[in-house]
Amino acid sequence: MPPTLRNRLGDLERAVLECLWASAETHPDGLTVRQVHDTVGVERGIAYTTVMTVLDRMAKKDLVRREREGRAWRYRPAASREALTSEALHQTLGELSGGNRRSALLHFLEESTPEDLDALKAALAQLEAAHPTEASRPPGRTPRT
Amino acid sequence: MYIAPLIVLAVLLAWPAPRLMAEFTAFRRAPRAALTVWQATAVTALLAALASAPAAVIHVRRESGIIEHAGAFDDGGLVIVLAFLVSGVILARLLSCAHRVGRNIRAVRRRHRELVDILALDALPGGDRQVRLLAHATPTAYCLPGMKRRVVLTQGTIDRLSEPELDAVLTHERAHLIARHDLLLEFFTVVHEAVPAVVRSDASLREVRLLIEVLADRAAVRRAGAVTTAQAIVQMAGSPTPAGSMAIREEGSIAAVRIGLLERHPIAGVDPRIASIAMYAFAATLVLAPVLLLVAAFA
Repeated sequence: MPPTLRNRLGDLERAVLECLWASAETHPDGLTVRQVHDTVGVERGIAYTTVMTVLDRMAKKDLVRREREGRAWRYRPAASREALTSEALHQTLGELSGGNRRSALLHFLEESTPEDLDALKAALAQLEAAHPTEASRPPGRTPRT
Repeated sequence: MYIAPLIVLAVLLAWPAPRLMAEFTAFRRAPRAALTVWQATAVTALLAALASAPAAVIHVRRESGIIEHAGAFDDGGLVIVLAFLVSGVILARLLSCAHRVGRNIRAVRRRHRELVDILALDALPGGDRQVRLLAHATPTAYCLPGMKRRVVLTQGTIDRLSEPELDAVLTHERAHLIARHDLLLEFFTVVHEAVPAVVRSDASLREVRLLIEVLADRAAVRRAGAVTTAQAIVQMAGSPTPAGSMAIREEGSIAAVRIGLLERHPIAGVDPRIASIAMYAFAATLVLAPVLLLVAAFA
């Protein structure tokens, strides 16, 4: 697939965020556009203004936070990768009312409750009884109950 | 007079039929044929409703002989106007609903895909460029259909499943993407939202969703086997739910139902393949009904 503008922006956003995460410990106050450009932009041959635009876009999407320092902005990741991921997973679940959301993303499984789990295990046991040779789960993971 | 049968057909298929069909759970054992019957029901109801207008025109023309009615606003003219009004409203509602639902769905998918692409870990499970791995402990797997499709997995999924089970889950999600189950689901969602709330049947939409899952499950079974697929479902379902996550309750033990449907079982003593043929024939008859009625009206 030829890289579209959106693809390139996505890659760049990814690289920028990786860069901010990687420097979170050494630069707790965040990086300036110049610093991000030095790390991400130069090797990719991307203009300073592009990096600026991307950071601005990411701030609007709440992926990064920024604080003004003199005439420049300092950018920090909005949260760790884990926290942002968790947010993304839950936000998408909550964003649309039931029907539309479930048409947008096809989940392997909707959430289930402990009572359901008993019914599940009963159904599995029945199936395993019909196929005794296939019934053993490969080792090394969660033990079977 | 063909307007009455068309209207009766439309009403029957829009209201009692879906409610009744959702009760016939045995037909889940032939998921593909059952989905075809569901589609045929929806399409036929729409066709019948839309065909009533042309049928009304023919009826009025016939009743009054071949007389020009231009501008004459008598009884016949009124029937035509009413019929076209009804058909027009139905069509307009359907189209606007399709537009709204489609735009919403695609916007959510695009935003989520962009986010997932940014946040994903570098690893590509299965070496598949469409798969994205998220750093999250809860086992979750889903797919984002469309032109730029993605299968999204969490680290928790990888940690919890064995290799063959993971293969079953990936095959399940890919089956959705390859067969474009999303389009099917979108069609039913549009029809569901386009009809007035009184007519709407949540049970039928749930049933369609289940059938789509069963189809994808069976693709997983063909690759990984029934027991492995069932184990994958149990492992995914048996995971602890993190605090604050969205709990969507209403499905009941739908996962247990899916495990029961992984393998072919006879429908009321009939081989599901034979039953499927009968169901396809039924679906074809349904769709033909309004067409034949309209043709008969012209004859």
